Amino acid sequence: MGKSKKNSVNRRDFLKTAAAGTAALVVAPGAAKAATPEPRRNAAAPPLLKAVAADAPSSAEVLTVDRPGSDFMVDVLKSLDFEYLCANPGNSFRSLHESLINYGNNQKPEFITCCHEESSVAMGHGYAKIEGKPLLVCVHGTVGLQHASMAIYDAFCDRVPVYIILGNFSDAAVRFGQVDWTHSAQDPAAMIRDYVKWDDNPISLQAFAESAVRAYKVATTPPMMPVALVAGHELQENPVPDGANMSVPKLSMTSPPTGDSGAVAEAARLLVAAENPVLVTDRVARTSAGLARMIELAEVLQAPVVDRNGRMNFPTRHPLNHTERGGAAIAGADVVAGLELTDFWSAVNSVHGQVKPEFRPATKPGTKLISITANDLYLKSNYQDFQRYQPVDLAIAADAEATLPSLIEAVKRQITDDRKRAFADRGTKHAAAHQQAMQAAREAATSGWDGSPISTARMSAELWAQIKDEDWSLVSNCQFVSRWPLRLWDFNKHYHYIGAEGGYGVGYGAPASVGAALANRKHGRLTVSIQNDGDLMFAPGVLWTAAHSRIPLLIIMHNNRAYNQELMQIQIMAGQHNRGITRAGIGNTLVDPAIDYAQLAQSMGMHGEGPIADPKDLAPAIRRAIEVVKRGDPALVDVLTQPR
Amino acid sequence: MRYLTPLAIAFTLLVACSCTEAQSAATKPKPAGNADNGKRVFASAGCTACHGAQGQGTSLAPQIAPPPELPALIGYVRQPTGKMPPVPVATASDQDIADIFAFLKSVAPAPTAGESLTGNADNGKRLFASYGCYECHGRQGAGAAIAPRVGPPAISFAAFLRYVRTPTGQMPPYTAKVVSDQDLADIYTFLKSFPPPAPASSIPLLKQ
Repeated sequence: MGKSKKNSVNRRDFLKTAAAGTAALVVAPGAAKAATPEPRRNAAAPPLLKAVAADAPSSAEVLTVDRPGSDFMVDVLKSLDFEYLCANPGNSFRSLHESLINYGNNQKPEFITCCHEESSVAMGHGYAKIEGKPLLVCVHGTVGLQHASMAIYDAFCDRVPVYIILGNFSDAAVRFGQVDWTHSAQDPAAMIRDYVKWDDNPISLQAFAESAVRAYKVATTPPMMPVALVAGHELQENPVPDGANMSVPKLSMTSPPTGDSGAVAEAARLLVAAENPVLVTDRVARTSAGLARMIELAEVLQAPVVDRNGRMNFPTRHPLNHTERGGAAIAGADVVAGLELTDFWSAVNSVHGQVKPEFRPATKPGTKLISITANDLYLKSNYQDFQRYQPVDLAIAADAEATLPSLIEAVKRQITDDRKRAFADRGTKHAAAHQQAMQAAREAATSGWDGSPISTARMSAELWAQIKDEDWSLVSNCQFVSRWPLRLWDFNKHYHYIGAEGGYGVGYGAPASVGAALANRKHGRLTVSIQNDGDLMFAPGVLWTAAHSRIPLLIIMHNNRAYNQELMQIQIMAGQHNRGITRAGIGNTLVDPAIDYAQLAQSMGMHGEGPIADPKDLAPAIRRAIEVVKRGDPALVDVLTQPR
Repeated sequence: MRYLTPLAIAFTLLVACSCTEAQSAATKPKPAGNADNGKRVFASAGCTACHGAQGQGTSLAPQIAPPPELPALIGYVRQPTGKMPPVPVATASDQDIADIFAFLKSVAPAPTAGESLTGNADNGKRLFASYGCYECHGRQGAGAAIAPRVGPPAISFAAFLRYVRTPTGQMPPYTAKVVSDQDLADIYTFLKSFPPPAPASSIPLLKQ
């Protein structure tokens, strides 16, 4: 073996530039332990590489590299404190991969092997909603990014940070062959630029360091979104240049934008003066503090909360939770405050009609509308996730959770004793209406209680009975099971629910649940997912990732053997077109053969049982699965369910 | 993907509140009822807002005149599904509903030939699946957040027939070209075979 290529600056030199607390963060020598990787390039070089090597100067000294740029990249990434890296391997980031596992010792971040880039990103999506910070995702050039793009769009629409590094063979002159060309792009992030908050393509290691830190700040400042950073193949694999004087910039987190004090005071005035104010929430509470402040705001005003459930914004059994009678609450409101609403328009309007939509206001004339959202601070043009424009009376461009403390104080300052008495009176009425709505939900749950396939209400109630005394976390969307968990369970902690996909992209559910379970693992929570069958089939390999990485997760299959949402749509079309109503299943059902999800799970190395069609068999199966999960592994129970 | 809005497929009626089973168990309403009082309660309880002054239906809710059998009507207004809010005893007692029942029967249009058909439940079961009704309403017609419970039906066969032909919300229309009156009579008979759901108070899992 020849000598390694040397550089005029060693790693200690290029990192040892400043002390902690100064503008530049120093990565201490040895912080990322070099695991004495044995250079392998010459030993296992592919034919094309050998050909290139044969054309190179004959000195063996150039065949190994002591300090590849990717080592420095690892120092940069470690400064951002990523717990995990989710990735499917790809040679456009092979040097970074090797540096992470050897130079970085596969710790912070730890490599989580994924079977699809969509799974990698969606895992980051679910993880961030539990942990409150991004994990790292690496994707391979053009092909990996195209796989990842759907999940990136979901995270973008859901305002969730995911930190993505794209490998790319930027310098065409040093591409080894056909595959490298195919997997390279002149502007790799172009294809996702419409749905990431920021991206960059640095051409030097120092620029990479600065952009990497900037990307983290950008991603985690509300409105949060994915970011992408290109890591050129050459930048990774070439040695750190002689004389390089590089440093890792200090990460200083940006405080979330809060509402202007005058505007907040005006919002408080409107809310205090209102006879029937209603708070509508969507993506407000990211933290336990945010949830507590939402409770405080509602209680100080005795105002009902209608939760659109983008996050865990408000306890489901709180007397002021009026989500179950949201339409009636909003119809009677004289002030509606929308907090981080994705779609304010649909909160105060309704859609009717058959062939063409008819729009009607859902509020009475003269209702004042207040909006507090960070979405007013940043908007993209092409994709239409920003929803229909809703005029409001007071628009506060700020992060709602961060604005809640000042809003609560402003409200308290303006409440007189008379208003307090009025608030107490309406609070009593709201509590009674809440109880009535909850009872109505329980009565509705009885429909088809003993039926087979199992009703989604029965399945939800059976599951709740098994987890209610645990420290649980439901990490799947409830929309497709008629929202039964949200209607029947007692949600009261910020990690009890994390909302939905954001972009309504099917395929999010399974990987996001695994990512959320990964985040919950160190907290010892029992993570639960009600998994739609069609969603799982997009990328079922994530079950293997869960089993391989020992990620405890209880998966209850909502197996209605169809893409039932689309089945209903085709049924509507067949009815409207006055033909073929028995054929809507073509292209929409998952039968003949029926998929055996228990065997699928088993094949991935995890516990799986079912299908269960008799509701009486459900509780014992769930208990068995929970035992597996409590031992630290994932488990799946396949349940044959009613369509919704 | 396009989501169906929960309100769109709904059978809508009246005002929100909860149900108590106490009165239903204690006193049995007289099916004959008092149509005059029924007309008054039908208006005062807000039924007319969605179902029209004569129960003829509007774009918000289906026709309910003539009504279904009285027990089914009471059962549904106490435990509705879809957009229809529950009607508490405080708003309309079982006797009030019996009176509404009498009122709705008195103002119902004369039945057409199709409305007098009798059905075959077994064939109705087969058709309920093959025509895709289950996709929104569940395999036993138990309903879901996006569509109401239809097993047992809360409306008469005449109203059922007319609603299927000219529905509201996102419930698609089914003309006689694709579903005959006899098919609908069979489906209706199948749906009538289901008992009303038990009260939630009788189910321990719903007391958690």
